[in-house]
Amino acid sequence: MQPVRGGFWVRGRRSGLEAGPYPYLVPALSFLLLFVYWPLLYNAWLSLHEWNLVSPERRFVGLANYSGLLADPGFHRLLGQTLLYVALALVGNFALPLLLALATLALPPRWQDLFQTLFFLPTVAAASVASLVWLYLYLPAVGPLAQLLRGLGGGVPNFLGDPAWALPAVALVANWKYLGFHYLVALAGIRALPRGVVEAARVDGAEGWPLGRYVLLPLLAPTLTFLFLSAVTSALDYAFIPVEVMTQGGPFGTTSNLMYGAYQEGFRFFRAGVAAAQAVLLVGMFAVFVVWQYRLLSRRDGYEAA
Amino acid sequence: MKRRSAWLWAFLGVAALLNLAPFLYQVGLSLAPPERIFASPWPFAGFTLEHYRYVLGKLPFGLYVWNTLVFALGVSLGHLLLSLLAAYAFVRYRFPLQEALFALFLVSLMVPFVVTYLPSYLLVAQLGLLNTFPGLILPMLTAGYGVFLLRQHFRHFPREVLEAALVDGADGLALLFRVLAPASLPTLVALFLIALIGAWNQFVWPGLVANRPEMYVLTVAVQRFAGGEGGSAWGPLMAASVLATLPAFLLFLLFRRTVLETFMEGGVRA
Repeated sequence: MQPVRGGFWVRGRRSGLEAGPYPYLVPALSFLLLFVYWPLLYNAWLSLHEWNLVSPERRFVGLANYSGLLADPGFHRLLGQTLLYVALALVGNFALPLLLALATLALPPRWQDLFQTLFFLPTVAAASVASLVWLYLYLPAVGPLAQLLRGLGGGVPNFLGDPAWALPAVALVANWKYLGFHYLVALAGIRALPRGVVEAARVDGAEGWPLGRYVLLPLLAPTLTFLFLSAVTSALDYAFIPVEVMTQGGPFGTTSNLMYGAYQEGFRFFRAGVAAAQAVLLVGMFAVFVVWQYRLLSRRDGYEAA
Repeated sequence: MKRRSAWLWAFLGVAALLNLAPFLYQVGLSLAPPERIFASPWPFAGFTLEHYRYVLGKLPFGLYVWNTLVFALGVSLGHLLLSLLAAYAFVRYRFPLQEALFALFLVSLMVPFVVTYLPSYLLVAQLGLLNTFPGLILPMLTAGYGVFLLRQHFRHFPREVLEAALVDGADGLALLFRVLAPASLPTLVALFLIALIGAWNQFVWPGLVANRPEMYVLTVAVQRFAGGEGGSAWGPLMAASVLATLPAFLLFLLFRRTVLETFMEGGVRA
């Protein structure tokens, strides 16, 4: 073990009892390695095998699970549906929270507080329980939404039963559940704008479009990037619980996505190898966004990412 | 100017109302007489507690609350302690591979659970911990969020205070628990609550690992009730769901300011 150099901010007198960082680090690190990084490796290993979760025998199949998935039209459909969830997340968890935050900030502070709490509440609710409530709201014919639409004289779709409606209906629940968090991030980012810089630009005559384009936009860029990335990466798992509770992927698999599909392969169809391969592909496809998000966070936190 | 603010109010008011509508229906249905439930789009007339009475008589709610409480407290206290220690290591010391180790914590936040749950489940099963509290709690103790948040918070701690404490001979655990932690109490409370509410609402992992009825947590119990006899009994189901949601809501409303500020400070998904 190398001798410990000076502290991060404090260069303390080191007593003989002082054991350095490792006793503090090891507990958290052990859990992290045991329940995140070992599973990641094990998952990669599993993806090269055929296994039904119970048999003592795991047959090595090389990349067959991967080539099987890539050739499978069902997998292509899951990919398309995943992208649709992401696109809807950009509306509900990127554009909408920004709009709401801008509107909120035009109010007196006391009211800002109130709306902050009101918009955040769904984030505090359990997704599974909330999905049950939405199941009622979406009920065909007798549910409140159906009755309301009929009252307005419109057609009444079977929201969760009609393949054309089901995915947007599920995505709405997921977006609703995560709106509050993204709204809060948008609020914090806009509030943190350096007023002095904005005022100085105003004094220099910047207004309207130039003010927005050349002053506000660059200043807001980190917040916008974070929001965008959070919307994209959270779209990966945010639909999971609504799907599980409301549709189990149906009707005809139209509300499933890569995440839910991988879960079903593993825990419902007991095809551990296929599930693992699908999970690896999922992580691979979103790696760009994850790395980007990581770099943003670590920079904000004071480290330059290597 | 007046016109513009009227539009603002209308936009925010309608959005807030729509945002809260599911909760209004949840509470409304749980209190509505059975014959009101499909009578109109507005089941908010009449008042009865019979759904609550039915659910409380039918389901062992006390047991579910106990299970959820043990699970959620185990996860949140463990998360708090582990991240406190690890965050301290990251700010108090400099050591080899420091940045790489911190990156491990940060990246763990972005690993989707679908990659880790199957291996974790197999591990828990192999250790014979299915349907036990250790099996439920231990795999949830990956403290990426807490380490990130507290490290960021500790770094902004006034240097002079720490140097003074060091001069007084407080280092190691004493520096952490006598100086840093007490001075960061609001953030620690917020982190604890965020973890507590998060664990209280966990559904997928407890549903996999604790699948025996006597080990159900609330979210799982309510969902299984919906999947069984509660599926068409919307009144009792909503009563059960209100009971399951209420504790998290009350905690949040009580500590609203601290929790929201910490969320803004961290800017990371919990």
